[in-house]
Amino acid sequence: MKNDENKVVDTNNTEEKKPSLSEILKAEEAELKAKKKAEKAKKKGKVAYDINGNIIPDLNVKHVRGIESKKSWYGFYFVLPWIIGMILFFLIPLISSLTYAFSDVVPEDGYMETTWVGMENYKFIFQNDDTYQLNLLSSIGDFFTQMPIIIIVSLILALILNSNFKGRTFFRGVFFVPVIVATGVVMGLLTQSYGGNGAIIQLSSSISTDAYSVVGTGGGMDFSELLNSLELPEEITAQLNIMITDIFNTIWTCGIPVVLFIAGLQTIPSQLYEASKVEGATAWEEFWYITLPSIGQTLLLVIIFTLIELLTKADNPIINQAYDQIKNVEYGLSSAMLWLFFAIIGAITGLIILIFTKTCLKRWE
Amino acid sequence: MTTEKKLKKTVPFLNKHKLKETGAKTVVSIFRYLLLIAISYIILYPLFAMLAYSFQSKSDIMDTSVTWISKAGTLENYKIAWEALEYPTALLNTVIVHLVSAFIEIFSCAIAAYGFSRFKFKGRGLLFGVVLFTAIVPVQILVIPLFLNYQFFGFGYIVNLLNLIPGVNIPYVSLIDSPLTFWLPSLFGVGLRSGLFIFIYRQFFMGLPKELEEASWIDGCNPLMTFFRVVIPSSGVVFLTVSIFAIIWHWNEYYQSVIFFTNDFPLSVMLSNIRAEALRNLGYYDAFAAPPVSAACLMFIAPVLIMYLFLQKKFIQSIDRVGIVG
Repeated sequence: MKNDENKVVDTNNTEEKKPSLSEILKAEEAELKAKKKAEKAKKKGKVAYDINGNIIPDLNVKHVRGIESKKSWYGFYFVLPWIIGMILFFLIPLISSLTYAFSDVVPEDGYMETTWVGMENYKFIFQNDDTYQLNLLSSIGDFFTQMPIIIIVSLILALILNSNFKGRTFFRGVFFVPVIVATGVVMGLLTQSYGGNGAIIQLSSSISTDAYSVVGTGGGMDFSELLNSLELPEEITAQLNIMITDIFNTIWTCGIPVVLFIAGLQTIPSQLYEASKVEGATAWEEFWYITLPSIGQTLLLVIIFTLIELLTKADNPIINQAYDQIKNVEYGLSSAMLWLFFAIIGAITGLIILIFTKTCLKRWE
Repeated sequence: MTTEKKLKKTVPFLNKHKLKETGAKTVVSIFRYLLLIAISYIILYPLFAMLAYSFQSKSDIMDTSVTWISKAGTLENYKIAWEALEYPTALLNTVIVHLVSAFIEIFSCAIAAYGFSRFKFKGRGLLFGVVLFTAIVPVQILVIPLFLNYQFFGFGYIVNLLNLIPGVNIPYVSLIDSPLTFWLPSLFGVGLRSGLFIFIYRQFFMGLPKELEEASWIDGCNPLMTFFRVVIPSSGVVFLTVSIFAIIWHWNEYYQSVIFFTNDFPLSVMLSNIRAEALRNLGYYDAFAAPPVSAACLMFIAPVLIMYLFLQKKFIQSIDRVGIVG
């Protein structure tokens, strides 16, 4: 186009404006510069487009603020309140709590008088407090046995509840009840108050004979008698008892993971399943090659969620111990106890998540 | 039809295959129902047991023939629980502190999540990593510094900084016993489990079609207006899901309430003291505490349970559509 125009101009005024070679070169150079400028602007996201989607290089790039550039600024505004809050109510408390763990803390008016003592708090805990070590080991052990069980059970339940059958709505309604009841004090009252061994339903009357739970005596099914009548060795009976009570506890913790999994399963496009049926895949293959890869992100979310749930459970012995230390105004010791526990669990879970994202999620994509 | 019949006549194999399949299917579905009924029993049993216990009197507990249904039936337990919980005031406290905080959180988290999902800005990935980190760190670890922060509140450490200047001594404000201890973090999107909510919102917003928002920008709405007029109306599903979670978790919140409040406790804290109260009223037998405690638990869950029953259908549908997946 441009060349044509030039030609037209040339033919009209051949005498006055015959472009010399140098002039043409100059013009080309200028054009190149403009192009470069436009490209630079494009990289920065500051470009004006004409109606056909071509870049308009002539417009003064500095003053053009397209939607793209505006967008990035607005994004910052949207997040800004959260950043302020995060610093005030999360980051600063987090750092102070970390320093408490390595300090001798005396509360003063308006601040904490902290003197750095290094590892003294930990030395004290490990030398004088045998229960802490035991609690630490048992909590970490519980944590890593419960996590996989909860995830597998809730995934199976979600798969069942996601399939088509009569009465699905009713069962879903029932399965979400733990979401409402199980988080918090009610659960604590049902499990702890009556000398039970952490079971919602006191099944094992043989273990603690005079224990009484809200929902225990007489009501419900008494598995322990059934087990006793089998005349198995006593140890096996006790183990089975614990397992059965664990099943009850697990199902009650599975409420929210089930909800999250169902939400994830719903987003898998049905075409995938249709295609696999045409290909003749079995249900087992379907699960491993379609379902599981598609809900990778949900799985990550469930891992994170279960982690929080298990960490902050009301009957976590470490948290209770640390809480007692707060009551004794031993803030340093309390922080030290909590930080060691969370650091260990955080590190191992971080490793799991890292391996999970690097291997499974990548392969599934 | 006719062609199908013909086919089946000529190829008997087809029929057999179908028969086998339906047989397997019925077996599978029977197992499914058995499993579901068993688990439903586990879930519903404590609720019904609590209901049955809450009507039992002292004599029913002593009576071994009574397991579920009380012989006389009494409302005494509810009366005791009502008084021990100081139900009306505690309920009001819960509503003022926790329910309001939940509603604030529902919106503040949505705003932050929208920023994370729709706009590209420097450090977005890092900041979102911090969001997940806030979700993982349990509140127990933060509670002592937070308590200090609230007891000697310096308006976001501004007063603390000013007081470093020699000669300046501005008094701190104590926020202990005020609902602000919950409202403020919620307002900034770092309240109770906000990290999880931001994550859920973000996943949903990323799946929304961009065209609608772009159209509204071109029509002259700024992104904030777009957010309120276009995005919020089209994401009722995710708002419902987050609302239910936020309300339930706030309702059950106990750990921070017991530290940030010295009186005017919300229901959850009152409930945790119920057993001692019940024992005081009934004589010192552990067994006698069960009926009033059951009654108190039921009174505590009742408001959320009723809310759930009303929203249940919509909630279950919304779970189907919210799509918490990357």
